[in-house]
Amino acid sequence: MNNKFDALKDDDSGDHEQDQGSPKDSEKEKPEEDDKEQNIIKKKKYKKTTDPDGPGEHPLQYNYTFWYSRRTPGRPASTQSYEQNIKQIGSFASVEQFWRFYSHMIRPGDLTGHSDFHLFKEGIKPMWEDDANKMGGKWIIRLRKGLASRCWENLILAMLGEQFMVGEEICGAVVSVRFQEDIISIWNKTASDQATTARIRDTLRRVLNLPPNTIMEYKTHTDSIKAWEDFHGLVNASGGR
Amino acid sequence: MSTDCQKTTAKTIPSTRRVIINNADHMPHDYSTTPGGTLFSTTPGGTRIIYDRKFLLECRSSPLTRTPPRGLPPIPGVTSPPSKGPNEKTVNGEVENNNSISAPETSNAGEDAQFEMDI
Repeated sequence: MNNKFDALKDDDSGDHEQDQGSPKDSEKEKPEEDDKEQNIIKKKKYKKTTDPDGPGEHPLQYNYTFWYSRRTPGRPASTQSYEQNIKQIGSFASVEQFWRFYSHMIRPGDLTGHSDFHLFKEGIKPMWEDDANKMGGKWIIRLRKGLASRCWENLILAMLGEQFMVGEEICGAVVSVRFQEDIISIWNKTASDQATTARIRDTLRRVLNLPPNTIMEYKTHTDSIKAWEDFHGLVNASGGR
Repeated sequence: MSTDCQKTTAKTIPSTRRVIINNADHMPHDYSTTPGGTLFSTTPGGTRIIYDRKFLLECRSSPLTRTPPRGLPPIPGVTSPPSKGPNEKTVNGEVENNNSISAPETSNAGEDAQFEMDI
């Protein structure tokens, strides 16, 4: 993991210097694609709540939904309360619609408390239990304070722009604001698919511009569930779950 | 050897598809696409919509992104619903969130550290 990473400058999401001249020319870019054509070919049919992209807008490969969650101070976590604490912000189908949401949301570096933003494909809940996530896992990257806003932005732009090249495997991305560090993660459907997880890891290195010696860790959701259960088993005096 | 043969007729592989267009609006905007969708894609399953970071950032300055999205739930300290008109003009087109974010719950800080085990 000894690639050359530029030292990160201050949080500045408008910074264009990050474009490292990676080989994007060979990819098929379709900025001016006819909307009708995309609707016929491969749009996921979850359009109930999302405005179809309007004229002049650039469609995304998938529709996505933003979620926000915050753990109430003092209340212990449980899977039930997790579902109640997580709230949908809205869904979008085009690049322009994405910016309309993103520009009206605070940046993760400015969030307070124990909070998360989640950006998942429409129809996939940002929870281990969702069918799409049951057999899946995630790459997690722990960041010192000050880096989350920029890294989150780069991560979601890469996801929305289909830079990961792993077919349908990507489920979504999460940024978690915690006490002394922030965590970004990207979830995929099949934890055992090593070709996919390796490709995701390589793309993360390419698009995130991380500080040197940043550690990336892959965790399956089942392992995370076990760790959570063990931890809460310890907390519960009776030893039960 | 089976004795019941079925007669099949040979058909040529279709090389053209006719689509009747009566309205100029139905013509695609690109010369490289055909009306009704590109029938013969070059990659299995069709082509994928890919955008690079630079392009996505450029789209941000489009007038289509100015208005807040419909139905944005107001979450104090998180989202900025439409009522804040003058806030929309910042350098990056990003709303400077002037909601006074309440002082961080410092009493919580110690508690968070203990519960940090789960991601």
